[in-house]
Amino acid sequence: MEAGMHATPALHEHDSDDHIHPPPEGFIRKYVFSLDHKVIGVQYFITGILFMLIGGSFAELIRLQLWKPEGAIMSHEAYNVVYTMHGTPMVWLVLIPLVTGAIGNFVMPLQIGARDVAFPWLNMISFWIVPLSGVVLFSTLLYGGAHAGWTEYPPISLQDGVAGALWCLSIILVGVSSTMTGMNFMVTIIKMRAPGMTWTRMPLFVWATLATALMNMIATVALSAALLALFLEHVYNVPFFDPSRGGSPLLYQHMFWFYSHPAVYIFILPAFGVISEVLPTFARKPIFGYKMIAFSSMAIAILGFAVWAHHMYPSGLAPWIQTPFMILTFAVGVPTGIKIFSWLATIWGGRIQLTVPMLYALAFLITFTFGGITGIFLASVPANLHEHGSYFVVGHFHYVVGGGAVFGFLAGLTYWYPKVTGRMLDERMGKIGFWLFFAGLNLTFLPMHWLGLEGMARRYASYEYFAKTHPDSVFWNQFATVSSFLMVASVALLAVNLIWSLRHGKLAGNNPWGARTLEWMISSPPPYYNFKKIPIVYDRPYDFGEPLPYRNLDHETDPYPAPTRASLAGPAPFPAGA
Amino acid sequence: MTPETFEKTLAFIGAVVVGVTALVQLKNDWKAHGLDALVTKILLGLMAVGCVLALLASVNVLGARS
Amino acid sequence: MASAVKPLGLQAVEARYNDVERHYAETRDIRLLGFVFFLISDCVLFASFIFAYMYLRVSAPAWPPFVDGHQLPWFDTAFAALNSVVLFGSGVTMHFALENWKHLNKQKFNAWLLATIVLGIAFLLGQAHEWSLIKTTWQGSSMGASFFTLTGMHGFHVFVGVIYLTVLGFQANRGVYTGSKYFGLTAGTLYWHFVDVIWVALFFLFYLW
Repeated sequence: MEAGMHATPALHEHDSDDHIHPPPEGFIRKYVFSLDHKVIGVQYFITGILFMLIGGSFAELIRLQLWKPEGAIMSHEAYNVVYTMHGTPMVWLVLIPLVTGAIGNFVMPLQIGARDVAFPWLNMISFWIVPLSGVVLFSTLLYGGAHAGWTEYPPISLQDGVAGALWCLSIILVGVSSTMTGMNFMVTIIKMRAPGMTWTRMPLFVWATLATALMNMIATVALSAALLALFLEHVYNVPFFDPSRGGSPLLYQHMFWFYSHPAVYIFILPAFGVISEVLPTFARKPIFGYKMIAFSSMAIAILGFAVWAHHMYPSGLAPWIQTPFMILTFAVGVPTGIKIFSWLATIWGGRIQLTVPMLYALAFLITFTFGGITGIFLASVPANLHEHGSYFVVGHFHYVVGGGAVFGFLAGLTYWYPKVTGRMLDERMGKIGFWLFFAGLNLTFLPMHWLGLEGMARRYASYEYFAKTHPDSVFWNQFATVSSFLMVASVALLAVNLIWSLRHGKLAGNNPWGARTLEWMISSPPPYYNFKKIPIVYDRPYDFGEPLPYRNLDHETDPYPAPTRASLAGPAPFPAGA
Repeated sequence: MTPETFEKTLAFIGAVVVGVTALVQLKNDWKAHGLDALVTKILLGLMAVGCVLALLASVNVLGARS
Repeated sequence: MASAVKPLGLQAVEARYNDVERHYAETRDIRLLGFVFFLISDCVLFASFIFAYMYLRVSAPAWPPFVDGHQLPWFDTAFAALNSVVLFGSGVTMHFALENWKHLNKQKFNAWLLATIVLGIAFLLGQAHEWSLIKTTWQGSSMGASFFTLTGMHGFHVFVGVIYLTVLGFQANRGVYTGSKYFGLTAGTLYWHFVDVIWVALFFLFYLW
């Protein structure tokens, strides 16, 4: 019998008290170089929010610049740096640290009944690389900044000099962090689930984390390779992308997008996972289509590797290549569509409680679907040739990223904040903040769709010529700028709420929402060892109304004792013949 | 004997010796269990393929150009 | 050579392997899976640069490419074939080293490990010689860019491997590993085989294609 080689852990009782290590001691060990996935999750959160404030400030600089068609506040050179330093940190220092690093780290091990991730030390290193990478990234500003957008295509990006090389280095670093986290999470989920937690009894957030970790492990290395090649060309003049010596700029685009397309699924899959947790809890109904949702997460992870060239249609690709990518891109929308319908079926007929996490989750369904539909327009080659490089694309991805990943993240934040801190967030501030963000997101990014279709190009510091033939574009840009401050207000209110509630929020108790996944079975905040005894799992967590499918929980008496076969069968039948 | 012929002769002999040994070890380990055994079997097999390639190169079947 | 390991010993080896505390066995399985995933991700790194090489080669108007009006020569296969066999041989010697450890034969383990390290160093010296023969530079052409980057990355992996195996040798002789608990040696062997197999791909792509 090979020890530990089963996919399903053996169904015997662990008296695992002996596996609880002594608590960490000292400020540095407890809060700075912590090995505890919960602390690391909070560290990722703080770092992600800090970089979001910086990246968001650069976004406001963009909006202020576009107040006037000739450019209101800065030179063209400076503007190029500004949008580069908006996109780059948002992608790598905000989205991935927040959805994977923060929520994934804190919640996933709890949901599988583990004490920590498989490699806690690696987890700690993975985290500390992120602030380091941020320092390197923003140091590029001392050298004039990187100018070519978050995609940094050569040959133009090669004009960045030292800033360009540092940009590459920073993202290579954060890529290594992501890869290690992906590997760590995969091993954790495969090997460390509680006894009885078979694959089909895992919470859907764990499925989402697994699919994301798979992509992180494979795709991010391809990014590191692309940027390493670019770095070598910057520093050592190695001609990967220089056509005069046999290189090809298109090669960079292939290498870059081979990662960057799965990257967008890395952003969104954890958010999908959050939605799958939040909707059943606040509709008090089991999730509809558990297996389809789990399967579609894996399908997206795999299919997502096959569609990268839809970012490259106008770049000179041969037409015969574009068609298969178009078809595959349409196909990759199908699993997502399956999820949306499953989620709708989940809440249909449920007893809906409009808490703040639920509001974000419902809003997600609207805005992410909208962004997904504009994505279908972009997937089509003929339409794309018109829309590429225009504000239509900017509108599309802000809907799926802002209306998708960010709403999913905010749903998760407001859902799990009580578990992390032991306090409830203020409901009123939460609702006002939600409506501010929802309004701000839609009012800012919706006009970009028609501006883009009419021909307004992205990454231009001024749109004077466009404004001459489309005079109302000035109004819509100003409209978007004003609306963007609604999102700023929302974030400010969120920050106030987070900090105020730490001291003054209502005490949460173990399970303020009446949810059924394992993290709600322990105290808020959880003890450093998570579970005194590793629980045993009997079923999926979504059957509201049924007894909890766990045994061995850390209560003196289980409030819901596990059902026996006899009790499930109902009262004894009449004696035969009666 | 030119250096090239010398290298090719050594490569030929080495490829046979190493390749056969790799395959024999693969056969001996065929029944071993576990992830490490699985990975070892795959990689030993691929090493044997490498020896085949080196052998074909040493007799100018592959890789021979002016 | 066939007598270096006896087939009957397989049961004894597996018995020793499983005769450990459950907690150790679970930790070992976790570390093994993590290490295999690390190797897979390293594969993706090489695969990305291999893609880059294949793309540049297939889209070039001629191969070898023209530089300053002259066509570069093909790489010389003979020496590379010999050097490849040296590296593959080191893979087999490492396999013997681990097998002997598992059969509690420390002297033979040391001997085969030393042979592996010597062959690994010989490969690196061979690569240095091979590099000196190349008629283009890292900066000069896409052929140079792809060749020196890929073989350089591979050579770096071999270099790290040689150091890793040396450290393992010292640790094994200091008593860190037993007949049942030798995960570090397993990991080192898998890493060495991995580096070997990457070379199979590079040898084919640069010298035989």
